[in-house]
Amino acid sequence: MKKLMNHSLKRLLLYSALVLAISIPVYYTAISLLWEYELKHEHNIILTPEANREDSLLIIGAVTLLTVVFFVLLLVGFIFINRRISRQLWQPFYNSLGRIRQFDLHRQQNIRFDSTDIAEFNELNESLDKLLSANISTFSQQKEFADNASHELQTPLAIAQSKMEILLQTKPLTSEQYEYIEDAMKALTRVNRINKNLLLLTKIENSQYSDTESVDCSGLVRQTAAVFAGLSQGRDISVNVQVKDHVLIECNRILVELLVQNLVNNAIRHSAPGTVIEINLQENLLVISNKGNMPLDKDQLFKRFATANAHSPGTGLGLALVQQICNRYHWKIDYRFTDNCHVFSWRF
Amino acid sequence: MKILIIEDEPELAGSIAAYLTSEQYLCEHASSFQQALEKTELHCYDCILLDLMLPGGDGMKILHYLKAENKQDAVIIISARDSLEDKITGLQEGADDYLAKPFHLPELAARIHSVIRRKYFGHSNVIEQHELKIDLLAKRVTVNSTDVALTKKEFDLLLYFISNKNRVISKNALAEHISGDLADMFDNYDFVYAHIKNLKKKLSDAGCTNYLKTIYGSGYKWDV
Repeated sequence: MKKLMNHSLKRLLLYSALVLAISIPVYYTAISLLWEYELKHEHNIILTPEANREDSLLIIGAVTLLTVVFFVLLLVGFIFINRRISRQLWQPFYNSLGRIRQFDLHRQQNIRFDSTDIAEFNELNESLDKLLSANISTFSQQKEFADNASHELQTPLAIAQSKMEILLQTKPLTSEQYEYIEDAMKALTRVNRINKNLLLLTKIENSQYSDTESVDCSGLVRQTAAVFAGLSQGRDISVNVQVKDHVLIECNRILVELLVQNLVNNAIRHSAPGTVIEINLQENLLVISNKGNMPLDKDQLFKRFATANAHSPGTGLGLALVQQICNRYHWKIDYRFTDNCHVFSWRF
Repeated sequence: MKILIIEDEPELAGSIAAYLTSEQYLCEHASSFQQALEKTELHCYDCILLDLMLPGGDGMKILHYLKAENKQDAVIIISARDSLEDKITGLQEGADDYLAKPFHLPELAARIHSVIRRKYFGHSNVIEQHELKIDLLAKRVTVNSTDVALTKKEFDLLLYFISNKNRVISKNALAEHISGDLADMFDNYDFVYAHIKNLKKKLSDAGCTNYLKTIYGSGYKWDV
């Protein structure tokens, strides 16, 4: 890829070099003819072959030298003028480009393009403006929708759940009926969680949770592993924790807790009984790996609801949350499948 | 004990009243800001359940009023807003507890029970039930004067059952209660069973009558 400014310059230079190169024999022929005419017809001088050759060489030398000098002059002039003109001409374009490059849909800032006196660029800026405004409004509408929907769902959910609990207290109630109610409540709980996580995602997107502090990641990882010990022991999964001491991160405590909890919980949830989970914290890296049979679809993994299915009764939002938190702090979260292990690495 | 439910959703208020109404609690309901203010001005309640988003005003103002008037009513905020900031603000303003919607009714009952005990039985906070004695301050449980060593989770569960006596409690509600803030992460309820088994065993080993009954296969009930 070449820069716009160098495009025209190269052709111009090639063309002028070509013209000047062709001009060398033309000059030479013209000057020799003139020289010969002057000597022979005006002054009746006849040169010896040696003197003749010497003259020819002199002429060729002088012409070539002059051509090269003028070529260099042209070259310098071209580059200088070209740069100047291009820069002035394309400045609005580069300005707009810079603005677009800085633009981040998640940051919610409107872009303002400078107005120029060049009609084409003005048109370009107007079109870009239109395109971006449409984008921004769609994005905020979508976010607002998720936010409103989640909020509005909370009350009916609370009512449904409370009615189920009242129903549990009614008599007579058979075991079969009880099971139906319990199942319904379980499903309601899941809706609750999905709802909560959606709200959380929206909040992170809205740049809430903005206060940061220095979080002791080593302690956090150990603590999380301990909290989940009950869950892993219940499933006969052993957790191997290796933590480097005093690893500190500057970030929001709630978010980083969420991130670590989600990763650890995922590893436990998707492990077969009797297997081992490795948790390894280094200076800038947390690696969590658990045994698995086949690789997961990496492109889909971090998307919302991409992983929820009948076999994994999670909310389908855990990894989307992890991704969102990583985006927020420009951290890198990665997945790979090696030696029959699902390996999630979080680089911060 | 008198409880005021300040909640604009009548269905939810109805459920709460239906669950709480027993020989212990007497429930009243206010569905708007104005009504709530009138009721709190005129009467004293042992516990007020306060929804923050009310037609006619912010529930927080009622809390301000109660504190300004130096009223002793215990207040539990029940709100759809569940961020940490909201909780901190609510508690700083003088609420005794904060419960995010949607919640399980047994959880609400347990919170009310605990708040009332804390508020009105300050120094001799002991629950007695036949041979079973629970000292809430010392977190000590005795059966016929012999100590029963319970883990924190088991003690917590015991209180949960006591504050929901004679009610059917689902495994679901118990799981959410035990796992607390991490409830979102757990989807397997087997650990509930393990905790309850231990609690039952420790109590019966100490000679306590088996009050904790398994009902309908997988539900629980503290039968007195």
